[in-house]
Amino acid sequence: MATLLELDNVFKRFGGIVATNGLSFTVEKGESLALIGPNGAGKTTIFSLIMGEIRQNSGAIRFKGKDVSNLATHERIKRGIARTYQVPRPFGDMDVAQNIRVGMTPDNLWQMVFGAPDPAAELEIARSVGFRESDLARTPSTLSMGDLRKLELARALATRPEVMLLDEVFAGLTVAEIDQISDLLAQKRREGMTFVIVSHDLRALEPLVDRAVAMTFGKAIAEGSFASVMGDEAVRSAYLGE
Amino acid sequence: MARVITPRQAALWLVFALVMLALPQFVSNGTLRIMIFANFLAIFAMSWDFLSGKTGYVSFGHPFLIGIGGYTTAILSYRFGVPISISIPVAVTATLVGGTLFFLPALRIKGTYFALVTLAFMELMYQLIQVIRPDLTGGTRGMSGIKTMVSGAAPNFYLSFGLMFAIALGLWMLSRTRLGTSLDAISMNEEAVSGSGLNTTRLKLVAFMVSASVAGLGGAFYVHYLGSIAPRALFDINFVFTIIVSALIGGSATIIGPMAGAFFMTFLLEYLRPLLPGSERYFVYGMIALVLYVYQPKGIFAIVSDLRNGKLRLPGRAANGDAA
Repeated sequence: MATLLELDNVFKRFGGIVATNGLSFTVEKGESLALIGPNGAGKTTIFSLIMGEIRQNSGAIRFKGKDVSNLATHERIKRGIARTYQVPRPFGDMDVAQNIRVGMTPDNLWQMVFGAPDPAAELEIARSVGFRESDLARTPSTLSMGDLRKLELARALATRPEVMLLDEVFAGLTVAEIDQISDLLAQKRREGMTFVIVSHDLRALEPLVDRAVAMTFGKAIAEGSFASVMGDEAVRSAYLGE
Repeated sequence: MARVITPRQAALWLVFALVMLALPQFVSNGTLRIMIFANFLAIFAMSWDFLSGKTGYVSFGHPFLIGIGGYTTAILSYRFGVPISISIPVAVTATLVGGTLFFLPALRIKGTYFALVTLAFMELMYQLIQVIRPDLTGGTRGMSGIKTMVSGAAPNFYLSFGLMFAIALGLWMLSRTRLGTSLDAISMNEEAVSGSGLNTTRLKLVAFMVSASVAGLGGAFYVHYLGSIAPRALFDINFVFTIIVSALIGGSATIIGPMAGAFFMTFLLEYLRPLLPGSERYFVYGMIALVLYVYQPKGIFAIVSDLRNGKLRLPGRAANGDAA
């Protein structure tokens, strides 16, 4: 397997707080990696760093072997990285189809003005995350949390990513919705998508990942198979205070 | 540009044009003069809308842009005898360049700060235009006797309407492309637009350049209609408010809304004139804007589309699916 994403000794400080403390890990192509740790461990910061929404103080972030540390967020997305957020961020006044359309829009002014949108492709992406055709005209204010998560996934998928960073993808969902999203992610995995997933719902997370990295205070404390990481003394003590 | 305009929409635009073109046969010259002002206000409101209504970056300094266009063509044609056919394109280019130089750094700041910076630009221009080279700008008194393009109410109406119609149709079609959708998205969540792989700085710059070109074009034509330009009337906070309130009353981010809002505002202010000759009129329009805003924040445009879809909501009661 080829390495798709690599964090190399990444540091990030917010004033006196070290949010990412020399973190390194790699994600192979087609792999699904869980990023776990207690609240405040710095998981979301990692995602923001990978996306370029914030910049690291030192260290490198490489995608397909190339350092992307100096690229703007939209440039990283064009190269194939996408993320979803803990709190879904839909375009509130747009319907589901338009939300997906923004994700599919090429970053090219000529095509934006003279190219036509592709409703068939929009529908295909909407269907791939479990929406029905009748959902396309719905606005985010009428969607459940489960549907909002699906919309986040759809918008991220619309950018044609090679790796998806999913932040708390199960938060606020009902049991049925968790099953639905899990099935969806399992399907995408079979299709070859690479994932980095952050979740506190470890039971839902376990079947979806190949490997886990546990972290606390911005540092990796264990890495390996999900079971071995969860059985790790340091991880148990970080999570449960044991 | 597939499906940017449907046959039905094209027919509606055509009917609108035909009705307006027939108007001089039926209304007095006085009413036509009001319509001419409405056409110019519509141009300014749509220009404002393409930047501020769409992206959410509220400009309080649009007269700054209109002023660059207006003063450039006025100085060129009045002081140097440059033909209007050259001075207007130069004025639009000057608005683009001058506006971009000043506004571009401002596009990096958000919300209220952007509004304040643009307001400061307008005030700065008001002060500077009076003291720097008054031999060119005419100082406090401005310039009068500037060449006009046509004379008489009807020809001026046709000219201003032609310009307004072309701009309205152009901006409306542009706003229906994916560029328009992406600009709308910026006002809703700029980070998510960037998170969709789009360069938001470039998008905002395009919105600004389109807006500035339209403002400069409108400003230049306006000066050649009036035959005069004076800093006090141009860089006036009431002028800014009239532009913004027109756009908001009409329905921001819709292009057609601000156009309708401009006509509504112009006639409102004119018909209030005999009743309230002073600036009390602005109090009345403020009240109307407020009532309309409470009733339907998305303006006349939304009220008309609700009426058409048969789901007009009553005050204080949310329409179906509009609860949030």
